[in-house]
Formats: sequence, C-alpha cells, structure tokens
Amino acid sequence: MKIVIDLKLCEGNERCVAAAPEVFEVHDDQSHLRIENPPSALMEKIRLAIRMCPRQAISLSDR
Amino acid sequence: MSTPELSLGSIDVITPEHYQQNGYPHAQWTYLRKHKPVFHVEQPRTDPFWAITKAADIMEISKQPKLWLNGPRLAVFVLSPGEEALPPEALPLKHLLNMDPPQHGQYRSLLSRYFTPRSVRALEPEVSRITTTVLDDVMGRTECDFVTEISSKVPVAVIAEMLGVPRQDWPTLFRWTNEIIGGGDPEFQRGENPTETFAQARMEMFQYFTNLVAERQKHPANDVTSILANAKVDGAALPTLELLSYLLVLVVAGNETTRNATTGGLLAMIENPSQFQRLKSDPGIIKTAVEEIVRWTSPVIQFARTATQDTVVRGQKIKAGESVCLFYPSANRDEEVFDEPFRFDIGRNPNPHLGFGIGEHFCLGSNLARLELEVIFRELAKRLDRAELAGPVARLRSSFVGGIKHMPIRYKLGPSHD
Ligand code: HEM
Ligand code: SF4
Repeated sequence: MKIVIDLKLCEGNERCVAAAPEVFEVHDDQSHLRIENPPSALMEKIRLAIRMCPRQAISLSDR
Repeated sequence: MSTPELSLGSIDVITPEHYQQNGYPHAQWTYLRKHKPVFHVEQPRTDPFWAITKAADIMEISKQPKLWLNGPRLAVFVLSPGEEALPPEALPLKHLLNMDPPQHGQYRSLLSRYFTPRSVRALEPEVSRITTTVLDDVMGRTECDFVTEISSKVPVAVIAEMLGVPRQDWPTLFRWTNEIIGGGDPEFQRGENPTETFAQARMEMFQYFTNLVAERQKHPANDVTSILANAKVDGAALPTLELLSYLLVLVVAGNETTRNATTGGLLAMIENPSQFQRLKSDPGIIKTAVEEIVRWTSPVIQFARTATQDTVVRGQKIKAGESVCLFYPSANRDEEVFDEPFRFDIGRNPNPHLGFGIGEHFCLGSNLARLELEVIFRELAKRLDRAELAGPVARLRSSFVGGIKHMPIRYKLGPSHD
C-alpha cells in the first residue's frame, strides 16, 4: 500500500497532520509524507486522515 | 420540533417559512436518512430536486466536480409567494461557488494561500482586538441582543480588514451582506421582494468595489483586494464581473455563516451549561469545541449540484440535468458517522463533520472561520460569568443559510484580562 497525495488538490489545511502526525507533515502549504510505506499499525490513522482531508487529496494505491 | 407522525408524504425540508418557525427540520432529516436518503422533492415555488441526507453520499458527489456541476444551480432557492423567477442572466454573478473545473481551480488558487492555517494565524492579534472591543462595548450592561451587538460584529470586521475596506465603511458593508443573504426575510427586505433587495445590494456593492479596485490598481496595498485587482488568469487581468463577484462572495460567504455558528454555539452552551463549564475550566479544549460548534450549528443548510450525465447515487438513478441538494446539517447528525450525534460534546474527536463542505468547493474561509470562533469562544469562556436567554430567539426565514437573527440574553460579563 502506498499513500498518494494529489498536490494539485492539497491546500495545506493540515487536517491530515492532526489525524496522523506520524505520516504527514505540512510545509510550503502542502502536505508531504514522512514515511513512504507506513506500517499496518498506522492504517487506521491514515484512513482517518483520508476521511478528514477536506480537499479529498489523499488516496491509497496498490502500486 | 413537534412532528407527531412522519411519512414521506408529509416531508418538507425546503420551505423557508418552516425554518423561521421551527428551526432546522432534524426529525425529518433523520427520517429521510433512515428511510429515503435519496429523496425526490417536487414542491411549488422551486424546481424539483433530489434531497441528499447521508454524509457518505454528500462526500461521493462533492469529490466528482466534473460529473456534478455547481454552475447550473448553486443551491435550491424557493421563491416568496407571488414572486416571479428571474432568468439568471438578469443578475449575473460569476464566482468560486458557481464556477466549475477547469476555471474554478484557476480562480481558487489565486487566493488559497492567503487562507491556510499559517496565513490566517497572522490575523490573530487583529481578531482578538476586534473581539475585545465588541465585548467591551456591552460590558457595563446586563442584557443585549447577542446577534446584533456581538456575533454579527466580528466576522464583518475581520473580512473588511482583510479586504482593506476602510473602517468608516464597515457598517455599510454589514448592511449589504444582511440584504444579500437575508433578503428572503422581511426584516432585511428593501423594495418589493427578495430579488429586488438582492439586486439593489449587489449593485451598490459592485459600485463600491469598483472604486476600491481602481484605487488598489494605482496603489497596491497589503490586502486581498490588491491581490485580486492585480491578479492574472491565463495571462490576462480578471474580467470585471469575475473580479467584483469574487469580492462580493468573500464578504458574503463569511458573514452570516460565522455569525450563526457563534450565536448557535452560545445557545448550545446555554442549553448545555456543563459544556460551558468544561470550556471555562479547560481552555485547551478550544479547538475541538470549535469543530463541535460548527458541526452542531451547521450554518450552511444546503448547496446543489447538477448531473452532467445519467448516474446513480445509492442505487437511485439520476438523469443528466437533474439536480441534487446536499443537506449539510443532516450529514452532521448522521448516526453512521457520529456516536450520539444529537449530543453536544465539545471534546468530540475525531469530528469529521461536513459543516464546511468537502472536495472541490470546500470552504475557502474555513481556517479564518475557525480562528474567529476560537478567539470569540476563548474570550467568552474567560469573561462571561453567566448567560441565559432573556426572551425567545428569532430565526431567519431561509432554507439556504440558516440561523438566528435575534437572541436576547441576560448576562454578566467581566473585564478583559489582557
Ligand atoms: C462557520 C463559518 C462558515 C461555514 C459554516 C462555511 C461553510 C461553507 C460551505 C458549506 C461551503 C461550500 C462547500 C462545498 O460546496 O463543498 C463554503 C464555501 C465557501 N466559503 Fe465558507 N463557511 C464559513 C465561513 C467562511 C468564511 C469566514 C469565508 C471568508 C472568506 C468563507 C468563504 C467561502 C468561499 C469563498 C467559498 C467558496 C469556495 C469554492 O467554491 O471553491 N466561508 N463555505
Ligand atoms: S488535509 Fe488534505 S488538503 Fe490538508 S494538508 Fe493534508 S492533504 Fe493537504
């Protein structure tokens, strides 16, 4: 599982950081991944981040 | 709300007069979420639409801005009795909310970086100053109208400040926003009907901003008007209609909404005194409290989307050209998303409410609104020793932006501590 952030949609609202600070960080008004392949223990937080992102900029990909 | 017996035949979630008399139709939305989450409505004084009441469906629709357009029908508007519908070209407006991709993104990105949490944080001292002044003005007394004297004052001052509108013009700006949003309510009506009220206010506001823009093109200042006045899309300056509409929407979108979140938030605190005590004793809870206030009050009742092709929502076929009405307050009580959705809990976390919408058109001003609510409720928690209703609340006659237009309170307010 890979996390994908669509930077064309992301506006730096920081909701992802609030939901999963281990995974996301915002600088220059855009979200960045702190880790590429998160351990499964973080999946729940990542799903919350996906849900909380107001721009729906985060998704999961199998590749 | 008293709803003795509900059935689909008796559902009415769009008549503005009902909102004025009874407040939000939560019992009916709850019924629809359970029995008919995609519900076809045909009523006089408006075109047919599908009422969407589940959070998951609103999210699904909002994240497909090419399938579901904003342009053809911005929201479900209901005519006043006897009022005639005007063709849209009679009162043109072209702004973020009624633009669609790809144009929408080009316009939105002109300003999005000025509304990030980081950018609006810089406004905090100013928001605090404005809030303190507003509260100081009612300090010596024991009764006031919380809406006209407190909650309505802060948002207009903050956006006026951001736009660089000189202080002496703030009251006029304030009146125009009341008329544009509340034109359906007799109290704010000028002329014969809501449409005339709106037309008049829109024209005066356009005139005002035409002058301000010309001034800022000559002498750019450090404000949002200067940025738009000198911005380019596709290498050209913004056309006049787009530029003036952008400014108008910035003024209007953040006023009535933030005001109603503030008023409804205090009302919720009055009705749930333990939650107000909790905020007083634990100021660190302010951020979740603000989210809960927005969820609880859901000041925007609905926006609409129109299908560009035949599609399906929750198994229901919807044809190209038909429109859906996204009821945000209903999503914010969705029992599939929230535990005990009808409990006001300022510590609720996570709180994935849709009060600011979601996706392509997600509220541009959400971080600004959050900052304003944070400052206001932080100050109220510090200074307000007690507050109770001193009379009945009066609600706005609108099924678009809902809220309270008067709320008399009896209170004891202490001095500012700074
Ligand atoms: C508590 C206060 C507020 C609430 C509840 C609220 C709610 C909303 C909602 C529901 C939408 C539509 C979202 C969608 O279609 O998905 C929206 C859009 C918008 N709001 Fe707010 N809003 C608030 C405050 C503000 C403020 C302070 C501003 C000031 C600039 C603002 C500016 C806008 C703009 C410009 C849009 C259009 C965005 C677009 O179409 O791309 N709002 N708001
Ligand atoms: S929540 Fe979404 S929009 Fe906000 S910073 Fe994270 S990815 Fe970007």
